Amino acid sequence: MKLSFTRASLSSVLVPLIFNSNLVRPISCSSVSCSPASAKPQTPLFLRSPTFSATLSDLKKWQDWAKTLASSVGSSFLDSDNGPDATLLQREFNWLIEDALEHPKTIGITDNDKKNMVVTLRADLEDLYELWKQRIEERRPFQYIVGCEHWRDLVLSVQEGVLIPRPETELIVDLVGDVIKDNEGLREGLWADLGTGSGALAIGIGRILGSSGRVIATDLSPVAVAVASFNVQRYNLQDKIKIKQGSWFEPLKDVKGELMGLVSNPPYIPSEHISGLQAEVAKYEPRLALDGGSNGVGSLLHLCNGAVSMLKPGGFFAFETNGENQCKFLVDYMETETEGCFRDAKIISDFAGIQRFVTGFRAQ
Amino acid sequence: MSSITLKRSYSRSSILSQVHNLGLNYITCLLSSVSEPQSHHFSPSIQKQPKYGNGYHFLRESGTGFSSLFMKTLKISYGSHWVTFPTNYYVRQFSSHVAFEPSTSYGLTVDGIIANNWTMLDESESDWKSHASAIAQSIHLIKKRLQWKKLIVRLEILSAQLNKPDLWDDPVRAGKICREHGSLMGKMKEVKGFEQELLEHIDMIKLAREENDADLESESLKALLRMRRSTKEKELEALLAGEHDSSSCFIEVQAGAGGTESMDWASMVMQMYKLWAQHRGYGVTVVDEMSGDIAGIKRATIKVDGEYAFGYAKAEVGVHRLVRISPFDSGKRRHTSFAAVAVIPILGDVSSRVQISESDLRIERFRAGGAGGQHVNTTESAVRITHIPTGVTATCQNERSQHQNKASAMAVLQSRVDQLEMARQAQMNAQHTQSLTEISWGNQIRTYVLHPYRMVKDLRTNYEVSDPDSVLEGDLDGFILSFLSASLDKDEDYL
Ligand SMILES: C[S@@+](CC[C@H](N)C(=O)[O-])C[C@H]1O[C@@H](n2cnc3c(N)ncnc32)[C@H](O)[C@@H]1O
Repeated sequence: MKLSFTRASLSSVLVPLIFNSNLVRPISCSSVSCSPASAKPQTPLFLRSPTFSATLSDLKKWQDWAKTLASSVGSSFLDSDNGPDATLLQREFNWLIEDALEHPKTIGITDNDKKNMVVTLRADLEDLYELWKQRIEERRPFQYIVGCEHWRDLVLSVQEGVLIPRPETELIVDLVGDVIKDNEGLREGLWADLGTGSGALAIGIGRILGSSGRVIATDLSPVAVAVASFNVQRYNLQDKIKIKQGSWFEPLKDVKGELMGLVSNPPYIPSEHISGLQAEVAKYEPRLALDGGSNGVGSLLHLCNGAVSMLKPGGFFAFETNGENQCKFLVDYMETETEGCFRDAKIISDFAGIQRFVTGFRAQ
Repeated sequence: MSSITLKRSYSRSSILSQVHNLGLNYITCLLSSVSEPQSHHFSPSIQKQPKYGNGYHFLRESGTGFSSLFMKTLKISYGSHWVTFPTNYYVRQFSSHVAFEPSTSYGLTVDGIIANNWTMLDESESDWKSHASAIAQSIHLIKKRLQWKKLIVRLEILSAQLNKPDLWDDPVRAGKICREHGSLMGKMKEVKGFEQELLEHIDMIKLAREENDADLESESLKALLRMRRSTKEKELEALLAGEHDSSSCFIEVQAGAGGTESMDWASMVMQMYKLWAQHRGYGVTVVDEMSGDIAGIKRATIKVDGEYAFGYAKAEVGVHRLVRISPFDSGKRRHTSFAAVAVIPILGDVSSRVQISESDLRIERFRAGGAGGQHVNTTESAVRITHIPTGVTATCQNERSQHQNKASAMAVLQSRVDQLEMARQAQMNAQHTQSLTEISWGNQIRTYVLHPYRMVKDLRTNYEVSDPDSVLEGDLDGFILSFLSASLDKDEDYL
């Protein structure tokens, strides 16, 4: 099949800023795609310049091949580990087209006399074959394939080494939106997003704060710091959002007691569950972003304790959790261990009806 | 006294409505009795005005020495002829503005022209009678399509409401009334303007002949020809004069009974609309799509963005039937499949939408599985929104983020709730189209036959085409226009 491409062309798609084109190594998809140690942000496919081209008929051949490959999956991934089914993969393929073609509509042209028309691409056609093979055969997450995730109204750059932000987490921005709506102190204050990953929450919140509102976002992972910084720049928020590397509150020592808001989606999956996760998560996403220790609540408790001294009286917090048990545990902890420190602790469900978030305020 | 505030405007309709306001027919009648129209040489300031042969100029001169000369006069130019009237004539006329049948100086009316049954020659023949009767017929058709009688009655009701002192107690309702009144008034004035203009041109031709003025005659003839063309265009526009016709819309297709067979047909129908909309230059986005298990779609919703999308697409509401040899039947038997089509306008005017409050909504993840959160990586982020008081639901799964899926689903939900409200108010005056749940499978509007012969036939109009492929590739305008004109033109007692 279509595997006669060279290392050179592949690297130009996957890691253009890291490698020069002449590195010769045998192709191994996982080593090609995963370079978690690198702290260089990669450019998502849709932002690359359309310097490649193919004829419409070659492109359609790729499309037919890709669709056949996708439909061959049927519901096998779904049945084995709750992975994507053929319908979802087809939809992802359409999005790949959207990102890879300069003018995505051209692939819909059916005129027979247009089949030699040249279509401009943001990646070499051979690499597009390889990328789709990785998606289906290796279960590499779609978002790493195209290098971005659409989250709320943002398009965030992501790559191996950074957690792909989840739809559930979008709601935290709505929760923050609700509390700042009629509270100027919160709207114009200093916020923190701990374990920012791609920077999703920091950017989402940075865009709804008032003109003097600021966000500090931290992460232990150098890749996350690099990617989050890239995303912050892309939304031109570098004056509003500072990204700092370090563990949880440690980079925030100088703003103790000054935070008006604190959000975090820390790793919360119990260690023993990690290996049983769907392939896209278990094989590709960073363990540092997922593994919450033996019962999963270690980081959450650490954040809870830290919030006592870091938040200003009246300051707001929102944490994402693994579900009902962690939510209840956390609220219970606040009511007993840190009694009197917080008020209005609440559990909020996500759209799937799972109790997902704990919110509240630092007591006066 | 002389508070004429008319300015030259490039917009034909606005000139015409102003012309109408002033009761120009009265002035026209005078024209023939003014034996020596006072001709003026163009002043430099007037020469800057573009010169039109097909209308009258009202000019208000102000702040110059020139103006004082005309303070109390109204100037009308017709080609190179300028006629001046003392202003008190039209002021008197304006104040006694009454509805009466406009006519030429010798009593010819628009209906009279139609009744004369003049032979209608081709445009190129430069025959004024042909032009005049073509224009008269267009006007007649336009009035019919606007449902003239109903329009006048509605205008009277609205005017009465506008005159009520408590009108602005309910500003939202007042705004609605004002807008509807303004829009209907505009339509009425435009048509009346056409009638006036037609008769004036005829008067001018008479005048030119009496005075042996070949220039004036040829200018008038040209003006008539232009009018003949523009009223012809207006005929089409008048087909789309419904309250929401100019809106964008959602088109929904649902497969009928019959499994894969019908689901395949439903996706062909959806494809037909996508292509139709693209050909018309509309924006097309898939909002919601439920694929069939083997092929095709169970149902789908697309958003069609652009002017008059709803006005055209509403002609497609109903059940579409397909007869063909099934590609899914190894026995190669003939199958009949059905797909239902619904069209929902997207109301542009925010104040006419139903106010939906957040607390009335239930939002659910569409295909939630497992623990969610960090456990799951999926690009599937569809939500289903339910409007609890009405039970109306909407889903979108084609956007790339949950936030956007939610926003799109919300837009669909809003339009569905609006449609429901319109249906509720339908007995008043709003036009509404049926939703998918209201459409009965017996309501077949069109049949597409691919075997044993090839044909597409509209069961409402009997319009038919022998090339199903072109229709399935989106060539639908013939069906749409014939349906729209049939449904508006059949009604003979509008006048
Ligand atoms: C579940 S991810 C959340 C990422 C992002 N906030 C989001 O919602 O998409 C958890 C993040 O916490 C970071 N993290 C893990 N341990 C950390 C620590 N000790 N200090 C700071 N960040 C840490 C991980 O690198 C990862 O980016």
